[in-house]
Amino acid sequence: MIELNNISKWYAVGGNRNYVLRDVKFSVREGEFVSIMGPSGSGKSTLLHILGLIDEPSEGYHYFMGEAVHLLKEKQRSNLAKANIGFVFQAYHLIDELNVYENIETPLIYHNVKGSERKAMVADMLDRFQIVGKKDLFPSQLSGGQQQLVGIARSLIASPRLLLADEPTGNLNSRQGEEIMELFRKLNSQDGVTIIQVTHSEKNATYGKRVIHLLDGKIEKETQE
Amino acid sequence: MLKNYFKVAIRNLWKSKGFSLLNILGLAIGLATCMLILIYVRNDLSFDRYNKNFARIYRVDADIIFGGSHLVLAAGPDPLGPTLKRDYPGVEQYVRFHDRGGLMVKRGDENISENRVIYADSTLFEVFSLPMIEGNPSTALVAPHTVVITESMARKYFNSVHALGKTMIFNGSDLYRVTGVIRDIPDQSHFHFDFFLPMSQDDQSRRNFWLGGNFNTYILLRPGTDPATVASHFEEMVNRYAGPQVQQAIHSSLAELKAKGNNFGYSLMPLGRIHLYSNKVGEFEPNGSIEFVYIFSVIALFILLIACVNFMNLSTARSSLRSREVGIRKVLGSLRKALIFQFLTESILVAAASLVLAVGIAFLMMPYFNQLSRRHLRLGLFTDPWTIPGLLLLMVLVGGVAGSYPAFYLSGFRPIQVLKGKLAAGFRRSNLRNTLVVFQFFISIVLIIGTIVIDSQMDYIRHKKLGFNRDHVLIINNCYPLNDNARAFKAEVLQMSGVQDATMTGFLPTGGNRNDNSFFKSSSLDQNGAIQMQTWTIDEDYIPTLGIGISAGRNFSRQFHTDSTGVILNQAAVKLLGWSDPVNKKLYTLKQFGSQELIAYHVVGVIRDFNFNSLRKEVTPMGLFLGNNNGNLAIRINTNDISGLIGRVEHQWKIMAPGQPFSYEFMDDDFNKIYQAEERTGKIFVSFAIFAILIACLGLFGLTVYAAQLRIKEISIRKTLGASVSSILSLLSMDFLKLILIAFLVASPVAWWAMNKWLQGFAYRIGLSWWIFLSAGILAIMIALLTVSVQVIRVAATNPVNALRSE
Ligand SMILES: Nc1ncnc2c1ncn2[C@@H]1O[C@H](COP(=O)(O)OP(=O)(O)O)[C@@H](O)[C@H]1O
Ligand SMILES: [Mg+2]
Repeated sequence: MIELNNISKWYAVGGNRNYVLRDVKFSVREGEFVSIMGPSGSGKSTLLHILGLIDEPSEGYHYFMGEAVHLLKEKQRSNLAKANIGFVFQAYHLIDELNVYENIETPLIYHNVKGSERKAMVADMLDRFQIVGKKDLFPSQLSGGQQQLVGIARSLIASPRLLLADEPTGNLNSRQGEEIMELFRKLNSQDGVTIIQVTHSEKNATYGKRVIHLLDGKIEKETQE
Repeated sequence: MLKNYFKVAIRNLWKSKGFSLLNILGLAIGLATCMLILIYVRNDLSFDRYNKNFARIYRVDADIIFGGSHLVLAAGPDPLGPTLKRDYPGVEQYVRFHDRGGLMVKRGDENISENRVIYADSTLFEVFSLPMIEGNPSTALVAPHTVVITESMARKYFNSVHALGKTMIFNGSDLYRVTGVIRDIPDQSHFHFDFFLPMSQDDQSRRNFWLGGNFNTYILLRPGTDPATVASHFEEMVNRYAGPQVQQAIHSSLAELKAKGNNFGYSLMPLGRIHLYSNKVGEFEPNGSIEFVYIFSVIALFILLIACVNFMNLSTARSSLRSREVGIRKVLGSLRKALIFQFLTESILVAAASLVLAVGIAFLMMPYFNQLSRRHLRLGLFTDPWTIPGLLLLMVLVGGVAGSYPAFYLSGFRPIQVLKGKLAAGFRRSNLRNTLVVFQFFISIVLIIGTIVIDSQMDYIRHKKLGFNRDHVLIINNCYPLNDNARAFKAEVLQMSGVQDATMTGFLPTGGNRNDNSFFKSSSLDQNGAIQMQTWTIDEDYIPTLGIGISAGRNFSRQFHTDSTGVILNQAAVKLLGWSDPVNKKLYTLKQFGSQELIAYHVVGVIRDFNFNSLRKEVTPMGLFLGNNNGNLAIRINTNDISGLIGRVEHQWKIMAPGQPFSYEFMDDDFNKIYQAEERTGKIFVSFAIFAILIACLGLFGLTVYAAQLRIKEISIRKTLGASVSSILSLLSMDFLKLILIAFLVASPVAWWAMNKWLQGFAYRIGLSWWIFLSAGILAIMIALLTVSVQVIRVAATNPVNALRSE
């Protein structure tokens, strides 16, 4: 599903290249659950953003769903991402001005889904995450765990094949974190969604079947369950 | 999709109520002011357009240079109109107006003074479109002793518009039959008369006197006639008709006169240009001026620009708060196009809200604006078919222009930057925003300087030493009805306590009669010694009553019988005559037009120049002659019991002029009237300038709010380290002050140039001194500092722990 070939990312700092990722090379097959670990600043988020097609590598080859991403134009890339990728953030990144229902609904609007259909899909999702009672509340009225549930619900509403999660439990307590991880596991095993998550927690990393360790922008090692 | 945008837009606006209010209010005030100005300007531009033949009507104006005077008249001689029609086929019709003063109109037992009276040719209604309610337009003004009145006069004197055939009594005993009732003349007309009297009754209209200039003459050209062709015949016409009369009058041919620098010509003034471009001698009413149309239009544009700039600045400054939304939406699959559309929707929504508010504000301001401008303007929201589409267009335009920058700017955020936390990237280092702030203050400072200059000039005029004392002078209007009692009346008034002096004449410096004539230094009527000057008939009390200074010779005295052929000159006349010792020198003039008989006047004295025109013009030559003119009685008073004195004067009036209307004025009021139009325009300018500055300040206030919000953590840390409020104030205001300084440096020369140009229109004017510019600069900085500090003090006064904890 994903193939990264000698991906590098650098920033020019005072004439020098400051490498954030260096010759990263790995592939992910459909249905996998991968965890990425590494110290702060090692390039995890950058890697995830590249995988999510919202950032571009400085060089290297990137294939996603059979497309050569490095050859695509901006618009084609965002269409590709829109159709296949869901994103979950550590800071939730809900739209403050929209309530729970509307936040979850937003991706469907961009997918040009009809109003009646949207209603059914959002209702379904609210049901599945057991947040029907909260649908009219705004993000500021929810706890962190609840907000992240909404964030995940939103990332899944358009049925993505790939879910990218950047420290999804970073701001949550361990019980909330576990609930989210269980959810991910179920999504992966029952619904076949491919998941790549960044995490700091050894325990959460074990939910993934592969763990990739990053250090200074390079893959240090990879462990398999 | 649209619903979603609207929802987000409204919630966003609601979430930051203060910001939205600032934005909407600023834009609304800008739009409202702009609307008022546009209505005013449109009104000014549509003068006289009620005439169906608007584009074919021209006024024939005389342009005469004679004896050192340049006369630019809004009128011509009596034969001009008829001759043009007779000789030139391109001229379809003519109509002449002759202003011969007001009337006393009888209503019941009282006589009411009416001033909007004019003699007009019976062709009036063929040229001008003055719809007649009753009567036959083609015959109404043919016979003598007929009158055409306006609807409101019919109501005033007959309590009904149906006045046709009724009789009116003018000046006590003259009977006139009403032969027509016309609709009131529209506001947007360069003349407003209520009584039209037939020209057939005016003997002067048949004199065939080409050297006069009392008839405002309008011609209607045939369709397709080129006015330039008509005008090209004027010289030939002057040679043919005026030439012989000149020869007869002063024994000199036109060619000789012209060779000596004199001129005798006519020009065509299109009807459409009279209101805004014509300011000649003999206009019916003071006209508007195209300068102010331009100035106001530019101000309207500026105000709108300032308001739009505010909108753009505030929106982009707030971008830090919206950038996250942009990032998320992009990650969720939104295309840039959709985001641009979303932000434009938002700004048009704000523009719409502003527009609704603006209509309300304009509606509320309209009465004040009308009072200020002496117009009867209306919003015309539903009466004028262009208003609503125009406003909607303005809304989309303003929303689009003001919203486009934020839209393109915000939608251009790359989600990766936003998600990585570069939220504040939008605010600092924005050259465009700095340029816009400079631009706003550039305009504000230009307007402040303009305001100070206009205000100082008005003040200067109000307090200028005019060469006569206009304070404490009571004027009794129209003393002609006193007839033989005039001298006795004056003597009675002089006996009253509280009266210091009194003079009887219609020639007053603040208005009233004007008359001029040619004089010659030698009895041979040599053109080289000719002078055209004002000739005023006064009595021996004139000079002391008005406190005019005598610089040589003496005042008139009844003891010198020869004073009846004496003249007192002003210094301007002496200067033009080139006399170093004028007293007892002789001046000659023709006793009567057409006769060969001369009168010689000897110079009795010389007075200091006093202003009797608008201060826009230099004092022109003048001669005072001793005689009897009962136009007005001007009384110098030295009492505080003014109403008591007026009561006694009126009592005496009723004895000596029974049944005649008594009315009075104060000379300084009359003087102020001359400048009312000027003052009005000045005041309108000042009000608009204040609005512009206010809107700019709203914008600056908004910007500081966001600057402070973004730096609240920094401010809090500085405070815990012991920074004082003033140091925080300087920290935040330094950036803005630099911009204002740049704006000041650019604005000063521009304002200097513009105001210098405006002042050129005044013969007596203030100098543009440096303090005007300095105080404008200081004022701008003060206003800005005040605006900034309100916010900074609020921020600086909050407990720093709050801000730090929330991070
Ligand atoms: N725009 C940028 N310019 C320069 N360096 C950057 C930029 N963005 C990120 N970096 C650097 O890239 C490195 C990796 O960042 P990131 O991928 O966020 O790390 P992680 O998520 O593993 O903590 C960091 O050291 C950061 O300083
Ligand atoms: Mg990270």
